Formats: sequence, structure tokens, C-alpha cells
Amino acid sequence: MLEVSAIWTAQVQQQNYRALLDAISHPGWVKSILHQAGSPASTAVLATLLDAEVSLADPEGLLEAADWPLLQASTAAPEEADYILCMGSKAAQFQPRLGSLPSPEQSATLIICVDSLHEGELKISLEGPGVNGNADCAIAGLHPDWLSQREDWVCGYPLGVDLLLVDDSAVLALPRTTRVEVV
Amino acid sequence: MSLAQQFGFLDEYAKKEIRRTSLKAVAIPGYQVPYSSREMPMGRGFGTGGLQLTLALIGEGEVLKVIDQGSDDSVNAVNLRAFIEMTCPGVGTTRVTGEADLIQSRHRIPEKPLREDQLLVLQVPYPDPLVVVEASEEKRKQLHGEADYSRLLVKLYEDIVKFDEITISHRYPTRINDHYVIDPSPIPRWDVPKLHMSKALVLLGAGREKKIYAVPPYTKAEPLAFEDKPFRVEAFLDERGRRRACARCGCDSSFLDEYVDSNSGHQVYRCSDADWCDEQLTRRSAPEVING
Ligand SMILES: [Zn+2]
Repeated sequence: MLEVSAIWTAQVQQQNYRALLDAISHPGWVKSILHQAGSPASTAVLATLLDAEVSLADPEGLLEAADWPLLQASTAAPEEADYILCMGSKAAQFQPRLGSLPSPEQSATLIICVDSLHEGELKISLEGPGVNGNADCAIAGLHPDWLSQREDWVCGYPLGVDLLLVDDSAVLALPRTTRVEVV
Repeated sequence: MSLAQQFGFLDEYAKKEIRRTSLKAVAIPGYQVPYSSREMPMGRGFGTGGLQLTLALIGEGEVLKVIDQGSDDSVNAVNLRAFIEMTCPGVGTTRVTGEADLIQSRHRIPEKPLREDQLLVLQVPYPDPLVVVEASEEKRKQLHGEADYSRLLVKLYEDIVKFDEITISHRYPTRINDHYVIDPSPIPRWDVPKLHMSKALVLLGAGREKKIYAVPPYTKAEPLAFEDKPFRVEAFLDERGRRRACARCGCDSSFLDEYVDSNSGHQVYRCSDADWCDEQLTRRSAPEVING
């Protein structure tokens, strides 16, 4: 836990960026995110990545109103946004940007808030770049529809979306290249 | 603004953009993600792409190694290291590959296998292997997206017909995760297999061309080749077909640089990787401490 303003400091953002880089390089790894007391780790993730150059959709209204001006990001509909803040317990009601064949990076990154990345009813096994063999994960608070929707979104590689699952204090990444099997 | 005021020289907006770009690069292995490369107090082409990545990545308490053509002591490596030391207070530096958290390099990948907790940044002058067959960037982006490398393969094959082997010595086109073909930067063929299923993340930065791309850990990296003409690394054989060894440390399993001995006028061979050579030399004088 950090004092109120620390997630907006350069030093904490550097450390949280490295946690995100580790997470996306190693799908299945659960990496701690430095965050402030009483504020979700997802806000610290957004603070690390966003500025006025990018847009954010928050269809569930999860973000504190006071955090919007600090993030500086413009608001957008989920269909248009660079980043989408989502609630894991509820299946997606939108079609995110998947990028294009020449520019697959022009796709959305979804930050999905879940209850736990350490234990839970949803057991998945991961394979693909960054995974040494396979990686097993247990997640609580992720509606199973997310995984089937993700299948539709990532089936046209290199088009796709990248998922950052975030609980109270940590992140786990599912980049578009990861093959996910429910076990 | 003095250099000392801003940790990492770049402003936080520039760092955020590089960070967002690098995450996309890892998520789409081998794809060259565009970014708006900033002006640096040295000419583009002097490793600014790698330097920008390092400055966006590194934090207090981390240990950095900077190498140029295998050496920590070349002018380029010394200048880059001095710049990072000046702009990143609290960052340590080392010459020892095993001690580094982060390694920025030009032209070589260290001989010592990298670990999962290490990170390699390669400086790239020319990121796009398709430039030789397609002048239009728009068309190249489409070809990359479709993973259509037929024209590049034809070009490679012409080389074989002409010289009876693939003559590319550096920047060998390498396919990542069965899709994108990358220019792995001017590393020798010797270093290309180190990218395959590497334990360490490899990030590549091209400052002048404004591109960042990545080879994630545990990811396929396969040099383009043909069944009848497989990819081969440099053999370093002498006239009698024996593997040459380093004249300094005796190692016969490293990438060698060729020198002319100023006294005898003869050709001599030495490890290109200075830290590797030092380590082998130490081992040879104390053979009992060899441990993997
Ligand atoms: Zn040697």
C-alpha cells in the first residue's frame, strides 16, 4: 500500500511498468502492482499507461471521477477506445477495436477487474509465446463468456486484443498470442 | 532543464509512449510497432532507439551493461554508459554479463546464456527486412500482416544460386512465432539461434526509423532457410578444417574477431565478447571452479 499520490509519481510508474512488461512477457505470471490504500490496482495500471495521447472507455463507471483529470486520457466509447476498463464478473457488451492487418497495434487493451488471480473457480491452462511449456492459473470473478469472446477477438492473428486481468494488488496478462484452455 | 533533474532524461510522456509501444511489441512478437522517437543529444544512428528503450525501462537500484560489438570499452559503449550514469542516478553499471539486470547492445548478443530475470535491448539501424524487395512502407506493412515473405525468399534463393550458399553475414532475416520476419539487428549469424526460445525478453529499438519490436521469452525465432540449404552459423575453421580458438583465453566455442598481430603480421583470433573472454581466462587459471 502506498500513500495517496504515489501511483502518479514517476518512480512508482516505472516499477509498475516493469511489472506489466514482465506480465505480458510471461502470460500466467501474477505480478504485484504498487497501488494506494483504498484504490484498486487497476487505477495504478491506468496511471502507468495512460496520458492525453490515448483514450479510455469505462462502460461500467468503475473509475473514480477524481482520477479522470489525473489520467488526462480522453473518453471514448468501448468500440473506439485504446483502453477499456471492464468488470470481470459481467460479460462484455461491446466489440473492441482489433487493429488492422497492416497496423495490428491499433487495437484495444482491456483492463479487466477480477476478484482474485491467486485462487478461484475458473482454472485455465496457457500456452504460447512467453510461456515455458504451459502455465496453470486459477481466477475468481471472471465471467466465462470473456474467454469465448476473447477467442472470437483473437482468432484473426495478428489482429486481436490484449487482456490485463487485475485483482486487488496484482496483474496477469493474456496477450493475443496466448492459447487458453479451460481445465 | 538540467540533465540531473529528470531521472532518465526523457520526459514522462515520452517514457509512457515507449512503454505502451513496448507492451504492444511483446504482445505481437516481431511486429515493428511505430512510435514517435524523440530527439536525443546524439545523432540518430548512434543507438538512440536502444537508448530510449533503456531510459524508459530502467529504475533505481538496477544494474546495466552496455556493449558495442562485444566490448564494453568501445567509444560508443563508453558514451552511452556515461550518458545513462549521468541521467539515471542510482543505476549501477557492470561489465559482467551475469551481474546485469539490463543489457543494451549493438552488434552482439552475449555468449553467456541470459536468464529469465534479465532483459536485452538491441540497437537497430534498419528494422525492416522487406526493404530490399519492396520500397513502399504501406505495401511492406500489408505483406508483414499477411506474413507474405515469398519475395524475400526468392531474393535469398538468388543468393544461393549465385554463391552456392546464403552469404548474409549480419542481420539475418528471422521469423518470429511463425509469422513476422524481423531484421534481428546487425548481429552475426552466430547470435541468431540465441533468440530462439530465449529465457530473456529481447527488445529492439530503431530510433531513426521510429520502430520498436520484440522477441518475447520462450518464443520461436527461426532464420529463413531452405531444405537443401540450411541455415549455418560461422564455422571458424582453419586451413586444416579445425575449429579456431581464441588466442587469449583458448575458448573454441565463441564468436571470434580477426586481428592482425602488429609484431608478427599474422592473423590472430580472439573472442568478440570481452566479458566472456575474461571469464574463460579466469576459469583456465582456476580450473577447479568450473561450474556449468
Ligand atoms: Zn577469448
